[in-house]
Amino acid sequence: MSRRVLAPIVGIIGFLALWEAVVRIGDVRPFVLRAPSRIAAYLADHFGDYASAAWVTAQHALIGSLIGLLVALVIGSAMAASRFAEQAAQPVLTLLQVTPFVAYIASVVLWLGSGTRPAVFIVALVCMPAFAFATVDGMRSADPAARELLASVDASRAEVLWRLRLPSAIPSLFTTARYNVGLALIASYLVEGGNFANEGLGAIGKRAAALNEGDALWGAIFAMAILGTIGLLLLSVLQRLVMGWHISQRARPT
Amino acid sequence: MSRIELRDLTKSFGDLAIVDPLSLDIATGSFVSVIGPSGCGKTTLLRVIAGLEPATAGSITVDGQTPRAARSHKRVAMVPQQPGLLPWRTVYENARLLLDVNRRANPPEATEPTPLLHEVGLGEFFDAYPHELSGGMQQRVALVRALTLGAPLLVMDEPFAALDEITRSEMRSILNRLVEGRGVTVLFVTHSIAEAVALSDRVLVSSPRPTSVVVDVAIDLPRPRTADVEDNPRFVELCATVRHALHQGMQP
Repeated sequence: MSRRVLAPIVGIIGFLALWEAVVRIGDVRPFVLRAPSRIAAYLADHFGDYASAAWVTAQHALIGSLIGLLVALVIGSAMAASRFAEQAAQPVLTLLQVTPFVAYIASVVLWLGSGTRPAVFIVALVCMPAFAFATVDGMRSADPAARELLASVDASRAEVLWRLRLPSAIPSLFTTARYNVGLALIASYLVEGGNFANEGLGAIGKRAAALNEGDALWGAIFAMAILGTIGLLLLSVLQRLVMGWHISQRARPT
Repeated sequence: MSRIELRDLTKSFGDLAIVDPLSLDIATGSFVSVIGPSGCGKTTLLRVIAGLEPATAGSITVDGQTPRAARSHKRVAMVPQQPGLLPWRTVYENARLLLDVNRRANPPEATEPTPLLHEVGLGEFFDAYPHELSGGMQQRVALVRALTLGAPLLVMDEPFAALDEITRSEMRSILNRLVEGRGVTVLFVTHSIAEAVALSDRVLVSSPRPTSVVVDVAIDLPRPRTADVEDNPRFVELCATVRHALHQGMQP
């Protein structure tokens, strides 16, 4: 097994072992902290429920962040092309980023109805600003020599965008995507707790918290962690496929 | 007929004069180097001729057209100082970048990069990515990329400045081989006296900013030129002439 695969597994197992040891040796009471072995056992017993809920949450997060990405590419391209557009959009994007979205989930649910739509909307909304900033940064980082070269044969703006600026933004977009995986999942979870659809890990977590069912709540938390890990893993695979040419994807020190 | 004609060309940024009134004729098929101290406005002059920067006053024709028109007809091929290769394109894809953009303007003289890549010794690297190449190989791709346009004017801005001495002399031979007999006019900016003399038919020595031509040295070395040209006593003499002109131009 290569070190790339081995190292994260060692890290996770080490962390869980430490947790287990703290709970057992310290005799921590279950309502304060449960042992991971107990949570894992509960998850295994209710695997079907959690798997179908996780699938719903994954869809919300994925579709929402893809929509957020598409909107960000449009807004980011405009910002990279015009200083005025950039200065106009910046405060609005920052506002979106710093506003605690939990506060307006209820309003969005009232507006868009229960179920998938508010979840996808809020995920898209919270993922979009970071993607837009990444687009601007990436596009601005396009090689000046290549820009000059394209200008020398009178390339159109659309060609410069498509052949130079967008590809130049790919590395920063991937970096942002790693951060947005967590944000998208958290947003899905929180909306699912408040969208009256009784679907997704967020719904399980919300009900468990209300009914004081610690095992069910921790099961949801663990399922979220697993989902996030899978998301990051898939992102790494995609990054290797798309960005084989980039310096970050080349031989690493072993 | 001249390929490039400058008549009382001036260029300034605000109050800062970059190019003094400059008149110049560059003959078709000739290789002309501009040499001068750093920051003397050589690059700006090149950008004005390439149609990337408007002139402040005076007139320029490139191939009988305004620089702006020549640029939109892909009549000017540029080789920048940094190769400017796109890291996500292979050597072959990079070599044809200038053909792939603004396709409608491709002139009839435009050619596939394949034979050119073989000619510069990159035959086995078609599918390699830029990061897998040495600096000299990258600059060879940049050279091929410019030549695919079949443009009558090649504009080169210190293209070998970032290379080591051994690679530079190799690049000189390659460039000489590529442009001799192609009838292409080359305008070449450099800091290297030996490079200018080895490559050129004419060396224009420019003063510190604002750019004006202090001395116009005809380089009467025989062609075709190989690396051996640098052993020619005439080569040494001409280098000395250019060097003296440079020093003379630097005097206030």
